[in-house]
Amino acid sequence: MHIMEGFLPLQWALAWWLVAAPCLIFGIYRLKRILEANREALPLLGVTGGFIFILSSLKLPSVTGSCSHPTGTGLSSVCFGPWITSLICAIVLLFQSLFLAHGGLSVLGANIVSMGIVGPLAGWGIYRALRDTGVSMYLTVFLACTIADLCTYIVTSLELALAYPAEVGGFATSFALFMGIFALTQIPLAIVEGVVLALVFKYIVQLKPEILVRLKVFPEDRIRAAGSDS
Amino acid sequence: MYEELLEDIAQQNGLREVNTYTKLAAGLGGILLCLLSTSYIAPLFIAIALSLSLLFLARIDKKTYGKIFVAPVIFALFSVSVILLLSGGEGVFWSWQPLSWLSLSITRESINESIFVFFRVLGGMSALLFIALTTPMTDLFIVMKRARLPEEVLDLAMIIYRTIFMIMAHLVLVYQAQMMRLGYRSFRESIRSFATLCGAVFIASWEAGEDLIKAMEARCYEGKFAVLGEGRPVRLPSAMAVFSFLLVSGGIVVTTQHLTIL
Repeated sequence: MHIMEGFLPLQWALAWWLVAAPCLIFGIYRLKRILEANREALPLLGVTGGFIFILSSLKLPSVTGSCSHPTGTGLSSVCFGPWITSLICAIVLLFQSLFLAHGGLSVLGANIVSMGIVGPLAGWGIYRALRDTGVSMYLTVFLACTIADLCTYIVTSLELALAYPAEVGGFATSFALFMGIFALTQIPLAIVEGVVLALVFKYIVQLKPEILVRLKVFPEDRIRAAGSDS
Repeated sequence: MYEELLEDIAQQNGLREVNTYTKLAAGLGGILLCLLSTSYIAPLFIAIALSLSLLFLARIDKKTYGKIFVAPVIFALFSVSVILLLSGGEGVFWSWQPLSWLSLSITRESINESIFVFFRVLGGMSALLFIALTTPMTDLFIVMKRARLPEEVLDLAMIIYRTIFMIMAHLVLVYQAQMMRLGYRSFRESIRSFATLCGAVFIASWEAGEDLIKAMEARCYEGKFAVLGEGRPVRLPSAMAVFSFLLVSGGIVVTTQHLTIL
């Protein structure tokens, strides 16, 4: 769940826009560079955005009985890198607020920072750290997606706590309480999202490994080997 | 399983033919005034005014509108309860210290603050829904183009927009087939089915993307999308209505600055 319209006071809504802006500008720069080199990339990036949107409008089966939405950013971050993902996420978040009433316009900056910037960066970091080690590809994807999802919610709690610190104990107490509320539903969900996206990855490896080879997600021989195993 | 897209409602709402900028002024103005307000009265007024115009002018189905509002209200109640218990202040009604670092209290100030935030969310959500339910994305693309958004970003946004509907159709097909075969019978089973569903959709959308490139190149695509926009003229009655709405709301923001509920 994203922060919704009207929840953050004006000054914090603006502050998070200022944090998000340079990342988005860098994302646009990267996008231009990619399109100059390879025009075909545009529809493929668009498709990824559509995929993130659809994934986040699906209700994930959840342990607690409640429903929540996967963020889907981990997989995109692994495939295209964090900066492009942040730009795609910004567009997807705008569509989510206008198509599904998830999130909002004034808080879009804050939501971009949590779901579009920090989450994908964390997921990408895990992926880069594990890619060239002996760790299984599926475990890498699982960890990257789970961590991306968890970080998204940690940052959301941080944003809420900064805007509404507690009288006693200030920011830290408030952060702990917001985290507590989110953690109940979000830790199982992050794990489920990791499992689902790792299975999605496995499915792609089996049926269309050439996509992953082209994007250089993992070395070609590993993808081919995994594809022929199953 | 998947949610109804507000876009489908927006395509056939009663205010579809009103000038886009007029509608954006009402929606964005409403959001901004909610954020500028320091009392709960102005957001409440904005929520009521915009909800009524959505229900009666845009003729949005009341049940649908209620359903869209439920999820944000529940989330708002959760988050507002944290503000209620933590923000403290003067006029203590109740307090409890369960842990050495955690002190919960309900005070006059915290009640005022949480009610204010709750109504600001209601006002902001109504203003957001006003834009979402009256202005289809296709109209907003024209606005974005005029606002000089980088072309690459606009193209990307438009392709994402198209893909969403394409994937949605595919998704419904696969999901129904899975349901028919009891694919969501148990938790384990539903995880597996859900993953296959997402994987199938990813591959299908990838292939659709590749087909799109071929189709566009066959039509002399040079890296630029054409946006065809038919401008709807600004009409005096709607412009006056929005202007007076903003004026009255602005007046309420200024005059009720220090008003609280307790």
